Amino acid sequence: MMSHSRPVPRRISLAALVLVLGMAACVQKAPPELVQAVETLDRELTAAQGAEFAPEEYAKFVEHWTAVRGRMLAEPDVIRLPWEPNRLVADLIKVQEQGVLAVSTATQRREAERQQAEARLTQLEERLQTFTGNLDTMGGRVVLGQRPVETELLAKQARSFFEQGQFVRSQRASQQAAKLLDRQIERLGAELGRYADERRVTAWRNMVAQTVTWSYRHHSAAIVVSKADRRLFVYRNGKAVASYPVSLGYNGILEKRYQGDGATPEGQYRIVRKRDRGDTKFHRALLLDYPNNQDRRRFLQARAAGTLPPNASIGGQIEIHGGENRALSETLGCVQLENRQIDVLFDLIEEGAPVTIVGALGLSNAISLALAELEQTEEG
Amino acid sequence: MKHWIMLGLAPLFLLTVACAKAPTDKLTAAEQAVNDARTAGAPAYLAEDFAKLESLVANAKKEIAEEEGKFAFLRDYEKAEQLLASAKADAAKVVIEAAKKKEEAKVAAVLAQQEAQASVKTTQALVAKAPVGKDRAAVEAIKADAEGLAASLAEVQAAMDAEDYLTAQTKAKAIQDKSQAVAKEIQGALAKVAGAKGKQGKTGK
Repeated sequence: MMSHSRPVPRRISLAALVLVLGMAACVQKAPPELVQAVETLDRELTAAQGAEFAPEEYAKFVEHWTAVRGRMLAEPDVIRLPWEPNRLVADLIKVQEQGVLAVSTATQRREAERQQAEARLTQLEERLQTFTGNLDTMGGRVVLGQRPVETELLAKQARSFFEQGQFVRSQRASQQAAKLLDRQIERLGAELGRYADERRVTAWRNMVAQTVTWSYRHHSAAIVVSKADRRLFVYRNGKAVASYPVSLGYNGILEKRYQGDGATPEGQYRIVRKRDRGDTKFHRALLLDYPNNQDRRRFLQARAAGTLPPNASIGGQIEIHGGENRALSETLGCVQLENRQIDVLFDLIEEGAPVTIVGALGLSNAISLALAELEQTEEG
Repeated sequence: MKHWIMLGLAPLFLLTVACAKAPTDKLTAAEQAVNDARTAGAPAYLAEDFAKLESLVANAKKEIAEEEGKFAFLRDYEKAEQLLASAKADAAKVVIEAAKKKEEAKVAAVLAQQEAQASVKTTQALVAKAPVGKDRAAVEAIKADAEGLAASLAEVQAAMDAEDYLTAQTKAKAIQDKSQAVAKEIQGALAKVAGAKGKQGKTGK
């Protein structure tokens, strides 16, 4: 009886062994290389700013990855029957596919954003360069006060954000700077538009023609100053006999409105006094009859309209002069020449001679051309 | 008798087990954790991780809503609970990391602000010495620049007050750069007129 019953436990043991081996083979484990691949994708997505550039794809990835990771932690050794598929692996592969899609989408969109930010920044920097160049050409820097430095700071910030990979912030700063540039161009247009105004330029030309005619009729010397050209022309007997470069007030291209604004007046004046050496600090000087009646009328109109600062006065003492030391003398609205040039002029010109100061001699002047170039760069 | 009692209790037991309850407490806790991360500055200093947190909570809410749309016996909030648990756990890490990054950014911004202030001060002192005369227009432009730089320091402070340290830092660095350029320009102008000792006058009012 005993010998007959012995083989039974052996069979049981064998069956048990097979079962254990089978079960072990069917433990539902996540392959570490697959888990690692998904973890890498997760990190890549962070670097590619997935949440910002591929929010939908990123959300799907996060949702499924979190769920699968939760299952991996909760059920590390789920046993499946040999004929059942490994669902964990299948799900991990799905998460991996979602991750690859999210990384690819985010990378593409981020690159597009980078290119857009770079294009904006490059455009801004080019505009800024053109703007600064033209501003210097027309001498309009002072007109704009603090605005140019504010624009430059924004452009620098845009560059800094771009270099840090903050493309959205970079674009925002570029846009702000571009808007500031537009506003400055508008301001220049408002202040200096008369240099491109046909009627105004025609009026200036008529003033110049009258002065030249006076010179012809009186067989005398007369002076014409063009602010846009920063040049003084000497006419004798109706013919231009000399021309010299000049410096104007620090806000010289503007129309003079009140004392201390740094603008050089425009109009038809006369030399009321010749100041020789010892009579002036500026080597030799020709004093003009500024303010004339027109200047006074304009000033009173401006005061009535409330466009002048409180306690503003009309000013005076506008001269054409030289300077013992041109580099150190201060011009608040005068026309300044080199000493050797004022010497020639001083001997040539008589008291009472006309001096006509105009914005420009023609429509194609340095300021109108610079203004036109700036307006072309406007973003609108 | 015993069998009858068991049979009666079985549906009650099934109802209790099958009618799973929405994890509202867990959702509230996760949302609070996300808010804590927001307060710690995560949206600015750990944007990706913060977005991930928000995504986890949003997905959990979506999951809860989907389950709530099902027949009561079939509701299963396990996935939502997993998402909420992840959000809460990750949020705690994000709070610490964001606070650290924010502090680093603050330190860098304060340093940049101090450097910008010192640089503007130096420039302003140089502007006071700037030569006038032929290049009066240039001097006036330099003065306007220096005033603009000084005014922009207020923008740095405003960004600091708003705890936007990245903006504060970039602004401060831009100010420092420009300020140094302006100072160099003045120094160049001063050097040009250093030898000139002629009379200085003023005309034209």
